[in-house]
Amino acid sequence: MAADSFVPRRRALLLGLGALPLAACRPQGDLPAAVEADGQTLRLVGPWEITGLDPSRAGYLFSRTEISETLVDLDDQGHYVAGLASEWSVSADRLHWRFRLRPGARFHDGSPVSGAAVRQALAFARVKPGGLGMVPIERIEAGEFTVDLHLRQIFEPLPAVLAHSSTQILAPECYGASGSVRRIVGSGPYKLSLLEAPQRFAAEVAETWDGPAPAIRRLHYLAVGRGESRALMAESGQADVVYGLDPASWQRLRGNPRLQVQAVHLPRTIYLKLNAGHPLLARREVREAISLAIDRAGIARAVLRDESAAASQLLPPVLPDWHDPALAPLATDLARAGQLLDGLGWARGADGIRRDGQGERLALKLQTFPDRPELPVVAAAIQEQMRQLGIAVEVAIGNSSDIPAGHRNGTLEMALGARNYASIADPSVTLLQDFGSAGGDWGAMGWSDPALVSALASLQGSGEAAARAALRRQVTTTLQGELPVIPVAWNRLVAAVQPGLAGFSLDPFERSYRISRMRWQS
Amino acid sequence: MNAQTLISFGRSLLPVLLRRGGQALAVGVLVGMLSFLMMRWLPGDFAYRIAAGRYGYDLVSAEAAEAVRRELALDAPWYVALAGWWQQLLAFDLGNSLVIGTPVIDEIRHQLGHTLMLAGAALGLSLLIGLPLGVAAGLRPGGWADRLGLLVSVALRAFPPFLLGLLMVIVFAGADLPAAGHGEAANLFLPALTLALGLAAGSSRIVREAIRNVLASEHYAFAQTKGLPLSLAVWRHALRNMALPVVAYLGVQLVFVIEGVVILETLFAWPGIGHALVHAVFWRDVPMIQGTCLMLALCFVLLNALVDLLCLALDPRHR
Amino acid sequence: MKLTTLHRIGWLLLAAVAVFAAFGPALTGTDPFAQDLRAFLQAPGLAHPLGTDHLGRSMLARLADAAQLSLGLAALSVLSAAIPGTVLGILAAWYGGALEKVLLFISDSVLALPGLLLVLLLATLAPGEFWPLYLGLSLAFWVEYFRVVRASARTLFASPGVEASLLLGFGLGYIVRRHVWPELAPVVRTLASFGLAAAVLAMAALGFVGVGVKPPRPELGVMMTELLPYYQEAPWLIAAPVGLLATTLLALILIQHEEKNA
Repeated sequence: MAADSFVPRRRALLLGLGALPLAACRPQGDLPAAVEADGQTLRLVGPWEITGLDPSRAGYLFSRTEISETLVDLDDQGHYVAGLASEWSVSADRLHWRFRLRPGARFHDGSPVSGAAVRQALAFARVKPGGLGMVPIERIEAGEFTVDLHLRQIFEPLPAVLAHSSTQILAPECYGASGSVRRIVGSGPYKLSLLEAPQRFAAEVAETWDGPAPAIRRLHYLAVGRGESRALMAESGQADVVYGLDPASWQRLRGNPRLQVQAVHLPRTIYLKLNAGHPLLARREVREAISLAIDRAGIARAVLRDESAAASQLLPPVLPDWHDPALAPLATDLARAGQLLDGLGWARGADGIRRDGQGERLALKLQTFPDRPELPVVAAAIQEQMRQLGIAVEVAIGNSSDIPAGHRNGTLEMALGARNYASIADPSVTLLQDFGSAGGDWGAMGWSDPALVSALASLQGSGEAAARAALRRQVTTTLQGELPVIPVAWNRLVAAVQPGLAGFSLDPFERSYRISRMRWQS
Repeated sequence: MNAQTLISFGRSLLPVLLRRGGQALAVGVLVGMLSFLMMRWLPGDFAYRIAAGRYGYDLVSAEAAEAVRRELALDAPWYVALAGWWQQLLAFDLGNSLVIGTPVIDEIRHQLGHTLMLAGAALGLSLLIGLPLGVAAGLRPGGWADRLGLLVSVALRAFPPFLLGLLMVIVFAGADLPAAGHGEAANLFLPALTLALGLAAGSSRIVREAIRNVLASEHYAFAQTKGLPLSLAVWRHALRNMALPVVAYLGVQLVFVIEGVVILETLFAWPGIGHALVHAVFWRDVPMIQGTCLMLALCFVLLNALVDLLCLALDPRHR
Repeated sequence: MKLTTLHRIGWLLLAAVAVFAAFGPALTGTDPFAQDLRAFLQAPGLAHPLGTDHLGRSMLARLADAAQLSLGLAALSVLSAAIPGTVLGILAAWYGGALEKVLLFISDSVLALPGLLLVLLLATLAPGEFWPLYLGLSLAFWVEYFRVVRASARTLFASPGVEASLLLGFGLGYIVRRHVWPELAPVVRTLASFGLAAAVLAMAALGFVGVGVKPPRPELGVMMTELLPYYQEAPWLIAAPVGLLATTLLALILIQHEEKNA
């Protein structure tokens, strides 16, 4: 074969190999301008992906970044303050609420925020998950710059529901025919300038904003799934604020002199949901024994790396109205737990696992999900602690929806979840959902207490402050004594912040990143 | 001889294109049907899964799931759903994502574009790394380059890619390269390098085997007795014989790369089809899964056609 | 066969891994599930030669347990991918025609179908078990052997040696043994060795996206995922499963290395 014959082939090989990367690079052309690290753009990194524009889906990202507003806002202590509604009033029978919209409020497209626009947004929010669907609304009326909500019965936590991100007000043009959200046009100080679902968006100061001009002019949000990557971005200075540090990274970055690390307790509790309708879990003594077997301090120390995370009761101190320091804290005492089960005659078999009165092996399935990375680890810890007590636990790590699905079809035995009791700022709403007469998807199962239900229902009506405090105490005392769910740990939100950023603070209600309060130090 | 070669190459081009075109159609249909049926067989209540994907673990509830079921008519029998999908597909419509709500085609364009960018860059880098290492090792089996190459490739193949990725970030921390994110050219480097190292670990050993086999062959001994210089002999005999297994290997690897980079995508916050597919499977987002599978299948056929053409160009015996 | 140093090292390493996997769980005498939440992430020491993991469990005991489970299943997965892949590859190259076309179409379809979907489907057969995941992996991996073997075998079948054997009237079995397998074996064995590591790493990848994790049973790939968060705080933890996998792979490669040159 002549020497020249392989030359064209060699060229073809190189061309062929070259074609792939070339073809692959084409999409780069239409990528939007890069994020400058010019000290102007605030670069935020968090674990939350943009899984949909709808207020009930990832809409919270747009309310947290102050692109969209809710009618009612919360101050740092959780009290209601003016949001898109500058003020509101309630009729004497407490069934008719009138919200007066902030004069001068405009959507980012320049149109004024009208009563009709708000009514439309609320009407769509009613038929989607998030809270407004639970409010006994009879009808919504719109004035030019007012909105009237007429209720069928008294519902005092209404402002709390209207502060939830699912009730954020978007411009009428955002909604498609069936209420689906096609774009984000809000009324806050920032307007969306780039949207690349599911991972990033950018916003800049809106010229339509009628309040004081924020010091941060531009922001960019990037969703980064892994805690390790987020921590590295904070360390290398590629992000100005990193939300959601995992416990191991938190330990490491705490000692980093070039970063400020802030943490705030959340009203979110990791808890064990139990099927009290299950023959093995029906007795209070068994639930108490399980609770006594759980080493909360150990889990807090080893898994969450935060001694103060051990839950002494369901609701954490960050909810001062609902946290009762007088309650006897949940204890860990494996010996007493064993005695409780011994007392039922449930003795250990040869494998160390106990048998109940009928000789049935004490084996239970614990369902949990990996979306919150600490949950599978906590589940593994609890599994071993229950084995020490003589209960065999099979941990199933699946999808979060397996828990409500298992609740509804009755197959669930135990579940490990993390519940935000103040996702609606008044915890009584979530508590009534969880501990109502039929239990709740994320709350009690096969257990209910009529007195507790009526106490929670009364809390949604109007009443004297002292009477309400007594009702709350009744609720917390019952939950602590009966243990329909077993609290394990309280969650924290941890963020790493570049020191050049002033005015940074964390919102325990996770409603806002408070960007308009921040500024660059120079 | 040169012109003849070109003509015979051109003549054998058409059958390849025709065959691969037909295959594209067949594989597309098959994959579409299979992914549809598989999703039907997967256990769990789809309405709950979709609701969990849409609203997250904080808001997923039985009410949300029932609303999803009503909205999407999930109770419809499978043949109705399959017929609906076909109807849409014939109108060149892949439907909307059940979770995110946007058209599937938009999602795929965004994700697949980024995946191809990453895969292309990784393939290029892996050839830059793997070819010279493999040739160096193959020319002197048992030499230090061979031993070192072996050790490194063994270490790389036993390393989980996420750990390798993190190490790359730490190693290149001084170079001011972004640890994660996308949208800038610099973002591409670390994920592509991580991927390329894994690919090169495999391909360099295949190259080495091929070179070694050729050097041990009678052709080579003959060429040597003819007095050809070593480099020319390697080029002429080794390259062609080596290229076949290497191209076949890379062809398979690239498919794994395209669908399997989910780890690096997650680690480097790089959008991509792996990430999209994993979430679509978890959320039972059937139109998204079907659209993704279809697009991946078409990509795969295209890639196969390229590999065919390469082999054709490399080995006259295939004509 | 002449044993060289490298060869000896290879066998020695393989024997060590095999002994560790087979008898380790019994020899360590420590419960791989027992936790001590006061002594987590401990550095290697007398009580725990490989330290303790994030829940205060003995890493040595867990590694031994995982080695048994994972290496066994990975070997099973490699065999169930390599044998059909190689046989079908040779058959396709030998017979060509309709058989080759059908096999190519099947392999192309499998390759075109995302492997994750296959693995997830298999996983539903026995939820919470590791073996369906490994079996699902071989369902995706056999194609690799098939394609490489077919491509090489086609070239080999066209070689003068084979043609001579054909003229002499030898059948497929002889030709494969005499001409094809000696050439293919190193490639297939290299693929299989790397395939073993790939199977374990695929488990790590599945664990990374939240599939296949099943506390408390340790599994090499899943351990890598679980210990990743502590990669800076306690690097020796993730180094243990990675090191074990690397040692196994190195041993396998070294053994082949010598067999060929001997």
